[in-house]
Amino acid sequence: MLRRFAISCLLATLALPAAARTRPHYGGTVRVKIEGDPWQRPDGLPRRLIFDGLTTLDRDGTVRPALAVEWESESGDRRWQFRLRPGVHFHDGSPLTAVAVVASLAASCAANCPWNAVHAVGPSIVITGDSPMPNLPSLLAGGQFLISLVLTADGKTANGAIGTGPFQLTGFNNGVLTLAANENCWQGRPFADAVEIRVHRLVHDQWLDLGVGRADVVEVPAEQLRQAQEQRLTVAESSPATLLALQIADSGALANPTLRAAIALAVDRGALFNVIFQKQGEVTASLLPQALTGYSFLFAADRDLNKAHQMRGGLATPPLTLSADQGGAMQLAAQRIALNLREAGFNVQVVGTGTQHSDLMLRKLPLEGGEPAAALEALLRSAGQTPPVVEQTSAALFKAEREFLDQKTLIPLLYLPRAYSSSGRVRDLQLFPDGTPDLAGVSLEDAP
Amino acid sequence: MSLRQRLLLLFSLTVAAAVAAVAWTVLVRIRYVFEQRDQEETTLFVSQFQREFQHRSAEVATAVDHLSASERARGMAFEIVQSGDASPYLTEAQTMAQDVQLDFLEIVGPDGNVVSSAQWPARFGYPEPAAADPAQAPFLKREDLPDGSSSLGLFVVREVHGAEPAVRLVGGERLDQTFLADLPVAPGMQVGLYSDSNATPNQSSPPDASTNITTAFDPKRLVGPSGDVPGAARYQKLIEEARKSGQQTNGILYLTDRREDSVNASAIPLKNQAGNVLAVLTVAISRSGMVEAQQHIRAIAYGVAAAGILLAIAFSLWIAARVSRPIEQLAHAAEEVAGGNWDVHVPEHGRDEVSVLARSFNHMTKQLTSQRERLVQSERVAAWRELARRLAHELKNPLFPLQLTVENLVRARELSEEEFDEVFREGTATLGTEIANLKTIIGRFSDFSKMPKPELERIDAKDMVARAYSLYANAGNHDDAKIRVETETSDEPMPLMADPELLHRALSNLVLNAMDAMPEGGRLTISAHPRGGKVEICVADTGTGITPEECERLFTPYYTTKLHGTGLGLAIVQSVVADHAGTIAVESRVGGGTAFIITLPRAES
Repeated sequence: MLRRFAISCLLATLALPAAARTRPHYGGTVRVKIEGDPWQRPDGLPRRLIFDGLTTLDRDGTVRPALAVEWESESGDRRWQFRLRPGVHFHDGSPLTAVAVVASLAASCAANCPWNAVHAVGPSIVITGDSPMPNLPSLLAGGQFLISLVLTADGKTANGAIGTGPFQLTGFNNGVLTLAANENCWQGRPFADAVEIRVHRLVHDQWLDLGVGRADVVEVPAEQLRQAQEQRLTVAESSPATLLALQIADSGALANPTLRAAIALAVDRGALFNVIFQKQGEVTASLLPQALTGYSFLFAADRDLNKAHQMRGGLATPPLTLSADQGGAMQLAAQRIALNLREAGFNVQVVGTGTQHSDLMLRKLPLEGGEPAAALEALLRSAGQTPPVVEQTSAALFKAEREFLDQKTLIPLLYLPRAYSSSGRVRDLQLFPDGTPDLAGVSLEDAP
Repeated sequence: MSLRQRLLLLFSLTVAAAVAAVAWTVLVRIRYVFEQRDQEETTLFVSQFQREFQHRSAEVATAVDHLSASERARGMAFEIVQSGDASPYLTEAQTMAQDVQLDFLEIVGPDGNVVSSAQWPARFGYPEPAAADPAQAPFLKREDLPDGSSSLGLFVVREVHGAEPAVRLVGGERLDQTFLADLPVAPGMQVGLYSDSNATPNQSSPPDASTNITTAFDPKRLVGPSGDVPGAARYQKLIEEARKSGQQTNGILYLTDRREDSVNASAIPLKNQAGNVLAVLTVAISRSGMVEAQQHIRAIAYGVAAAGILLAIAFSLWIAARVSRPIEQLAHAAEEVAGGNWDVHVPEHGRDEVSVLARSFNHMTKQLTSQRERLVQSERVAAWRELARRLAHELKNPLFPLQLTVENLVRARELSEEEFDEVFREGTATLGTEIANLKTIIGRFSDFSKMPKPELERIDAKDMVARAYSLYANAGNHDDAKIRVETETSDEPMPLMADPELLHRALSNLVLNAMDAMPEGGRLTISAHPRGGKVEICVADTGTGITPEECERLFTPYYTTKLHGTGLGLAIVQSVVADHAGTIAVESRVGGGTAFIITLPRAES
C-alpha cells in the first residue's frame, strides 16, 4: 500500500511540470513581422489588438456584445440603440462614453455609411437611417468600425491610436510598432506583456527570421501556403477571408455591359487558382462562399473564350488599364488576367499599384463572417458599392447577388484564406473571422 | 571689254580653274581614302560583333547546359513528368535565371507550354514554339515583355537531362545597350541597335515574338551603349531600307545641319533563323575628320586661287605694258582718225608685229592727211571755179542788155533830139533795171556769205506755219495757174527754241521753191506735227518732182534745177536748220511732188 502510494506520489510529482506547461503563462514579448501597412483598414493587424468594436463575431459568425452590451431596433430596423458597456476606459484612462463612440463612428465612416445619423443618448448611442439596417450589429463588428478615441475629454484631437483593446500602442521606432498589454482591459489582461510588430518586412525575410528565432508570428500568403506546409511550418489558416475580385469601371470605355460580360467570361480562374495561388482557397463566381450561402455553385465560374469573343463582337476598345492591390501574387494575377483579356481581344496594360482611375482593378476584399446578408452588405460596402436591402432568406439573397453580379462591375474570382505561421514558443495562436491573428489569446512557451 | 580686261579675266579663270581642278581631285581622293578606311572599320566592327555574338551564344549555351544538367532542374522535370502538376514551379525560372545570370529563361513542359517564365511569369500555360527544336544553334528572338514592350535576345534551347518526355529550358540573354557597351568601338565610331517593337499586342493569339512584325520607325528604339543615339531620327531611311531589303545598307547621314556632324553609316540587319529581320545594328563613323580635311584643303585652294588671281592681275598689267598698251594706243589713234582727226601719231618701239602695225598706221594717217589736203585744195579750186562760172553766168545776163543799151545810146546821138530823148529814156530805164538786177545778184551772194547767228526765243511751230500761210496764201494765184495753199497743224503745243526770222526765211525759201515747182498750179501744204521730242515742219507740193540724183545734190551750194536760180536757197535753208540743231530731208518722186521735212528739237516745257 505504502509502495503504491509512493509510486502514485512519484507519478503525480512527475506529472505536475507537464500540467504546468499546458497552462498559458503571462509575460514575454510576441515578435510579429508583417509586409504591409499595419494600419491598413479594415484588417490591419494591430487594429484588433488596440481597438474593440461595439459588437464582435464569434467563431461561428454569431454577433456577440463587445463595447455594447445590448441593442435593440425600432421602426423596421431604421433606428438602432446600443447601450454601452459601463466601466470601460480608453488606454489613456478616459472613460468610454457615448460621445466618444459617436465621434469615432463619424470619423470612421466618411462616405458610403450604412446609417444617416448617429448620436449619443445618455450611456447609449442611437443610429438612424432612411432605409432599414437589419445587418447593423453585424456590420459594427467589422474592422471598419472599431472604436478609437478621436477627441480627448477636453475636446482636443487625440494623439496616436488609442482604443480599449487588450494592447495599447507605446511606440513606433525604426519600423517596429510596440504594443504593451492593457492591464485594465475590460476583456482581461492578455497573456503577453508586449507585442512588437516589425512592418514592411518581405515574406521571404519573415520566414528567415522565423527560422532563426527572430520572429514569433509571420505572414503566410495564400500562394505560399503550400510551400509553408512543405517546409513543415506551424500555420494557422483562416477560412476564406478574402475575396479576390476584378472590379470593372462602368463608365468610359467599359460603359457597355456586354463588354464587361465579355471580360468576365475571358478570365481564367483556373490558372489563377491552380498556379498563382497554388490551389489555395476556392474558385468562385459568387460574392459569398458556398459554406455561407449554399448556392455559390449556381454561379458559373468557367472560362468561355469563344463566348467572350462573340460578346465583344469585334467592338474595338481603347487600351485598358488594370491595376492591382499590393503583393507579388496580385501583380502576377493582374498580368495573367491581362493576358487572358488580350486573348479575348482586349488591349490591357497592367499599371502600377496606386494608379488612380484604372479601368480594371484587381482587389482583395475582406470577407467578414456573420449572417450571409450582413457579409454581403459588408463586402459590397468595402468594394465601394451600395448594397441592396435584402431579406434574410436564401432566395432573396441569391436574387440580390445575382442582380448585382449581372451588372458585371465586380467579378468574383477566388476566395483566399489568410494564414500566419508561428514559432515553437507561441501557444494557442487563433485567427479572428477576418483572418487577423488574435494575439491577445497567445501565450509564450518560454514566458516566466 | 578691253584687251587688258580680257587678259585679266583669262588669266584669272585659268588660275582659278587650275586650282579648282587640283582641289577637286584632292578632295575626291581624300573622300575615297576616308570611305575606304570607314568601310574597313565597319567591316572590322561587324566581325567583332559577330565574334562577341558567338561568345555570348557560347555563354548562354553554357549557362543553359549547366541548368539542364543540374540536380535541381532534373528533380523538377521528374516531378513535373510524374505528377503532371507544374504549378509548384511557377517561380522556378526566375530563381534559376538569377542563379546563372540569364535575362530570359522559360521552363517548357512536355506539352510544349510554358511552366515558368522568368521574364513574364504570368505567361505560364501558353505554348512556346521556340522550344520545339532543342538541337538548334543559338538564335535571335524577340521576346515580348509584360509591359507591352519587347526585347531582342540571344536564345538557346536545351532539354533537361533524364526527363522523358522532355522538359525544356529556353534561356537567353538580352541584346541591348549593355551588349553594345561591351563591344570594342573605335574612336569616332558610334554603334546602335534598333529593335522592332511589338508594342501593339497580338489581339487574337497568345503572345509569340517569333514572327517578324515590322512596325513604324520609332527613334526611341534605337539605343547606343550609353542610351539614346544622337540624331536617331536621321537613321530612319537607312534602317527602314535595311529592314525592307534584309541587306546591309550604307549611306551618309547628316545628324545636324553642319557638315562636320555627318557620319558614314551602315545598317546591318540581324535576322532570326527564319530570315526575318528582328533588329538592325547601326555603325556610324564620324566624317568630321574628312570634312575638316576637306575644309582645310578648300581653304588652301581658295588662298591659292586668290593669290593666283592677284598674280594674274599683276601679270596682266605687265603684259598690258608690253602688249596691250601699244594696241590701246593704236585703237585710240584709230578712234581719233575715225573722229576726223587724222593728224595722230603712235609711238613705234621695237620690231615686233605691233611696231609694224604702228608704223603702218602712222604711214596710213600721213597718207590720209596729204590726200585730204590735196582734196581740199582741189575742191577749193573747183568751188572757186564754180563760183566764177556762176558769177560770170549771173553777171553776163544783165551785162549784155547794158552793153546793148550803151551801144544804142551811142548810136542814138546821131538821131534827132526827140528820137534821142526817146532812146535815152528807154536806155536809162533799161540800165536802171539791169543795174538793179546786178545789185540783187550781188545781194544774194552777200547774204549767203553773211548768215547771221540765230537769236533763239521760244516760239510755237503753229505760229511759224500761220505766218508763212498768211504771206503766201494768195501769192500763187495767177491767171493761168492757181496754187492752193493749205496748212495742217496739230492742236497740241509745239514749242521751239528758234530764231523766228531765220526760220521764217527758211520756210519762205521752201514755199517759193514749191511754187516754182508748180507752174501749172497745184496744192501746197504747210504742216507742223509733234513727233516725240521733236517737231516736224513739212512743206509739200504737188509739182513735177525731182529725181533721186537731184535729191542727193539738192543742198549743195550753187546747185539749182531752176533756169534762173542761184543755187543758194536750199543751202541757206540747210544752214538755218543746222544752226537750230535740226535736220532737213527731202522726199520726192518724179510727177508726184516734193516734200521738204524740217525736224527740230522740241523746246522743254
